Order: sequence, then structure tokens, then C-alpha cells
Amino acid sequence: MKKAAAFVAVVVLAWLVWDTGADPVRLARGLPWILDFVLRMLPPDPSVLPAALVGALKTVEIALLGTAVAAILALPLGFVSARNVAPRAVFYPARAVLNFFRSVDTLVYALVFVAAVGLGPFPGVLAVVAYTTTSLAKLYSEAVEGVDPGPVDAITATGATELQVLRFGVLPQVLPLFLSYVLYRLETNIRAATVLGFVGAGGIGFYLQTYLRMIDYRAASTVLLVTVAMVMVVDAISSRLRDRLV
Amino acid sequence: MIEVAGLRVVLPPSTVALDGVDLVVRRGELVIVLGRSGAGKTTFLRSLNRLVEPTGGTIRVAGRAVTGAGADEVREARRHIGMIFQQFNLVRRASVIDNVLAGRLGYVPSLPSLLGRFPSADRELARACLEQVGLAHLAERRADTLSGGEQQRVAIARALAQRPEVILADEPTASLDPALTSTIMGTLKAINARGLTLVVSQHQLETALAYATRIVGFRQGRVAFDGPPAAVTPTVVRAIYDES
Repeated sequence: MKKAAAFVAVVVLAWLVWDTGADPVRLARGLPWILDFVLRMLPPDPSVLPAALVGALKTVEIALLGTAVAAILALPLGFVSARNVAPRAVFYPARAVLNFFRSVDTLVYALVFVAAVGLGPFPGVLAVVAYTTTSLAKLYSEAVEGVDPGPVDAITATGATELQVLRFGVLPQVLPLFLSYVLYRLETNIRAATVLGFVGAGGIGFYLQTYLRMIDYRAASTVLLVTVAMVMVVDAISSRLRDRLV
Repeated sequence: MIEVAGLRVVLPPSTVALDGVDLVVRRGELVIVLGRSGAGKTTFLRSLNRLVEPTGGTIRVAGRAVTGAGADEVREARRHIGMIFQQFNLVRRASVIDNVLAGRLGYVPSLPSLLGRFPSADRELARACLEQVGLAHLAERRADTLSGGEQQRVAIARALAQRPEVILADEPTASLDPALTSTIMGTLKAINARGLTLVVSQHQLETALAYATRIVGFRQGRVAFDGPPAAVTPTVVRAIYDES
């Protein structure tokens, strides 16, 4: 059985290598070009730093606004798609809809929203909202499903209404988790938002793509370094906040 | 105070937890329910405030129908029935005083309560209940920073804050050491002495005999014994606990 599984795995991997044209020799031949590319990026061009910083700020803004709006929109969705809170008639359709929309990536949403509302950061915000709402709703619902039923019983036993049970029995248990998920999503959204500019949805990606197209690799490397710094700063702040929550 | 007739509970998928229980508890009694694990003690207590849905039979508590009642009537009945749990069931991250205040949820206006606003009379009552269990000095502490015995006293204060006529306690001392067991049972006895009716499940026979005014023994979902502690003979103990 194990041997058969190993054999199948080897065959599948071999086919994948063949079908994707994965060729170590080709990679080796390409290495000088990569080196050349990197060398042409050096030294970074400091004159585009102001533009890169403006782009970075816009990217952070897109991620912040999109994540904040999604964090709120996901709240009701998180509860209606939690097995232990929502009635079955609500739970199953809610789960199906969420899974459907979650399978589409932020970048694809950006393409749709750029076509709908035009270029700029706004379609970027919409794309972040669209993806993050469904992914946070899923994380929220798992937190709700993981609550300790004891306090819920205790609050129910006092004669509280269902809303009061959610507010006093469930919410205090899940709120720190919710906030932690929101911060985690903010970190991944910053990364996702860096490429939104590639499809015209604003932010630092726009500058990166522009300079690459202009074959101004030294300017592009400045933008890249700013991107790296931006992601690291946001990650550091966010993970420090998350540590405090748990 | 509590009238149970023909109570039958089948838990999904098909476990018969209670099989025709008849029991009348009078005002001011301290009934201790005994029985082996799975005899139906917990299901019985949880049926009395409809945390468990009875399959058949009728229950009345403090003059209110518990079975056959709509959602609002069940809530109304629950307000008058305090409950204490083996695992204390406090909201761990909330402060001690907020946990006690939760006992007022059945009485306070719904919308303000959702925003965390409680009338000052209810806040004072909660504080008084906390004082009653001797923990007023811990009001602002987070519930999960308290010891097990203290948490159970907070849970008792929460039940008292309901101004209940009946208190149900499901194995209130099973998670506590012997010294704390007597503290908690002593607190419950004192509450009973002030006129409240209590139904308490216990797995320790000696504790039960020391505090109860009446013993009810469950066996395989039926009442196997019902009488004063003095009437609990070795024969009765065997009838409640022995195999098969």
C-alpha cells in the first residue's frame, strides 16, 4: 500500500515536472541574466524615494480601510455561518456563499472593480473588502464554533434573551480572537495590496510596474526596498499588538 | 415549589436519560440528588430550567409552567431559577462584578444591556450579592484570575443576583478539594436557611447526608429512593449505586 502510494507520488511529480517544463539546466542558463538584472538595479535611485513613499502610504491606506470595513461586515456573516449559533437553514447557504466568494483572490476582485469604478486606490479598497470580508467571516465563525459552551449555558440559565446570550456568553470569548484575526489579515492585506497597483488599483505596485516598464531598474529597486520596509514595519506593529491580545 | 410529573428525556440519538420521573419539592427544602454517573442527575437538573428539552411529562417551577411554555415564558421562568455548575461557567475574561451582573440580564432593559449599561439599582444588587459570598474586594478582578473556590462563590453570587426562588446546583463541588467543598456546601446551606429552595446534585454520599434535608436517589433515569438523610441505610445505598 505504502509502496503503491510512493510510486503514484513519483509518477505524478515526474509528470508535473514534464508538463510545466521545469528544467534545472534552463534555470542554470538563466542565472547570469538574474545576476545582470540585480546588478542593473544597483545602486537604488534615491530620487524616486518621495514617489515610492507616497505609493507605500497609499498601499497602507488601502489595506487599513479595506480591512477595517471588512472586519465589521464580517461580524454578522461570522455568526450566521457558525454551526452552533445559526439555524441549519441559514448556516448551510451562508457557508456555501462564503466559500464561493473566498475562492477568488484579491487581485481578481481588483480587476473586476477597476473595470467597474475606474483606476485608483478605490477599486483596491473594494477588492480588499471583498476578499477579506469572506475570509474573516470564515475565521470568525470558527472562533464562534470553538466557544466554551459553559458560560453560554450559564447566561442562558439567567433568563437572558438570545441576543444577550451572544453579547455576554459568546462575544467576550471570541472578541480577542476576532481582533487577532483582523490584525493577521491586515498583515496579509498589506502584501496583497502591493501588487494591486499592477492592475491599476492604486498604491506602490503602480510605481513598481511603471519603473519596470520604463526599464528604470534602479528606480524600481528603490520601490522594492520601500515595499520591504513597509511590510516589515506593519508586521512588527501588528504582531506586537496580537501578542498583547492573547 | 417544583412539581415534576412523568418526566421523560431522550437525548439524541436514542439515549433514555430520564424515564418517568415524578417529584414534588416543597418550598425551603434542600434536596440532594445522588446517583452514579449517567443515572440522570444532570439531565434532571437541566430539565428544570429547560437547558435540556424534555421529551415528555410536565414541569412547574415556582408556579410557572416550564414545559409547554413559549420562549418568553421559559425566560420568565428561568429568571426565578438560579443555576450553579461544576465548572463554574464564568465568563473568564470578564470582571467578577460583570459576571455577577449577568444574573440581572433577565430583568434589565434589553437594548441598554447589550451596550453594557445596567441600571444602578441592579449594579448595587450585584455588589450586595458579591458581598454576601465574601468577595466584594475582588469585584474588579478578571474572573479567571480567581481560585476555583472563589470562582464558584462568584457563580453563587450570580445566581443570587437573579433574586431566585429556586437554585439548582449541578455537582457544585466536584472540581474542588474537601475543604472548599464544605465552604461551598456551607454557603448553599446558609442560602437555604434564608428560605430558598435548593436542588443539588452530589457524588459524595457523606457530603450529601450532612447537608440535605431530603435525599433523592436516581438510578437508570428513575427515582430509586426518596426520603430524609436518616432513612439512607446501607440497603438504600446499594439500591442507588450497585451494579445491575
